Amino acid sequence: MSSTNFQTTTTEPVDTSYPFGPVTPNEAVRRYVAIAADRPMTKMTMPIGGDVWVIHRNAAARQMLGDPRFVREPFRTGKRAVPYFVEFPDFLKGTLQFEDPPHHTQLRKLVQKSISPKRVRAMRESAVAYAHQLIDDMVAKGSPTNLVPEYAVALPIQMLANLIGVPPADRPKFQKWSAATLAVANMPEEELLQNMTELAGYLTALIDERRKQPREDLLSDLANAPHKDESLSDGEILTIAMLLITAGFDNTANFICAGVLSLLKNPDQLAVFLEDVDGVAPTAVEEILRHGRMCMYDKASGGGGLVPFVATEDVEIDGQLVARGDAILVDPASVNHEGRAYPDGDRFDVRRSDNPHMTLSYGLHHCLGAPLARMEMQVALSVLFTRLPGLTLEGDPVMDMNNLTTPIVDLPVSW
Amino acid sequence: MPKVFYVQPDGSERVVDGAAGDSVMSTAVRNGVRGIVGQCGGSLSCATCHVYLAADDRQYFDGPGEDEDEMLDCTASDREDTSRLSCQLVLREGVDVHVTVPDEQT
Repeated sequence: MSSTNFQTTTTEPVDTSYPFGPVTPNEAVRRYVAIAADRPMTKMTMPIGGDVWVIHRNAAARQMLGDPRFVREPFRTGKRAVPYFVEFPDFLKGTLQFEDPPHHTQLRKLVQKSISPKRVRAMRESAVAYAHQLIDDMVAKGSPTNLVPEYAVALPIQMLANLIGVPPADRPKFQKWSAATLAVANMPEEELLQNMTELAGYLTALIDERRKQPREDLLSDLANAPHKDESLSDGEILTIAMLLITAGFDNTANFICAGVLSLLKNPDQLAVFLEDVDGVAPTAVEEILRHGRMCMYDKASGGGGLVPFVATEDVEIDGQLVARGDAILVDPASVNHEGRAYPDGDRFDVRRSDNPHMTLSYGLHHCLGAPLARMEMQVALSVLFTRLPGLTLEGDPVMDMNNLTTPIVDLPVSW
Repeated sequence: MPKVFYVQPDGSERVVDGAAGDSVMSTAVRNGVRGIVGQCGGSLSCATCHVYLAADDRQYFDGPGEDEDEMLDCTASDREDTSRLSCQLVLREGVDVHVTVPDEQT
């Protein structure tokens, strides 16, 4: 861990230690800029799994993520503990994101078609209709309300149910189970376990049904892979479905909340957004993905990271030797704010066009659900602010700091 | 230095200087060309760098391989005969490339 003082052009010294504890978001961005100017990466000791290189520069991160000499096999096989802040659950280590080519390519191709931009485009109309319905319900109940369960979580769960192929009649229980996979409601462990077991049992039965009577949905596609060598066992399909559920609504719901907060806290940018909602929504969503979490909290810490890789041989990245066997990961907050990629990275700019953020990763492990997440965020924010342009905060948002993804659980708003 | 001519769906055109060996996708991403996302970095697994290649420029490139062909079925905008993934269009000296960005690139 370095602690060099880096001198910026403002002549004010900036602490370039990494990781760093809670500071204001603006100070965090100042540090990211200074750290990345000082060095491409820092070696950091994790609470679990030992040392890992953490990349700070955007271009260096792209280089690493695009290089097949970095793999995840030692983590998947259990040969090495994943250097991270918490222990990764075994079921996640058995999923696609811990696979390397060629098996990764084979599995990914199977899921890709079901969640492709083309399929997502076909889902947009139903997302818009559902967003309107949720707002109708909210308005009927009256303000103030907690936007999280009423809108930000409800919309992605509905879309996930559509994608996977959950019948409309089963959606309420599916919603309960899938929400429980990340303990959004802060439930006791026995209850959580029971919910996950019920969800797994439900999905297994649905896989069987879709194998017999396929429809146009993900479970049908997976259960009826076109070539014999691509066919998957029920267990493999279940793992993919559980991964999509785990990754598929909580992150999106959080980013919808981050978007609402970012826009409400930056009224000038909300005005730009409202002037041309459909035109600005795509770039606004990218900016929320890049910078939104900085608008959620009063303080930001430096030390986050995407899932790491292991170097299979000595590789030099941006002048730094990463030795064979070293673990390495990308700190998205750092690469999303560093000065070469973003000369004004502290600014929330809904029209930002050159925005090479890595919140959804990059390379062959980039987020499989990215097209769906983008579409849901665009729809959620466009419909919400078009219908309720006078939306205002009715108190401080509440985060669940005990949860891995620190979701917002209460976002009180009125209109 | 090869140039890439990016035409947006509204007809507006942007010309970017490229470098031989770079792809039409990476040139677009590096220069912030709207509508070309290229999130998988060219590993043929995202279908977010779809473009329509000008008919006159098709002579400069081999046709789509099997993996590209499969991904072209997944693009947000309709596939046409001239559809390509821009990550597979590699620039070379003396050859300018003209592409049109599709309507919707989610």
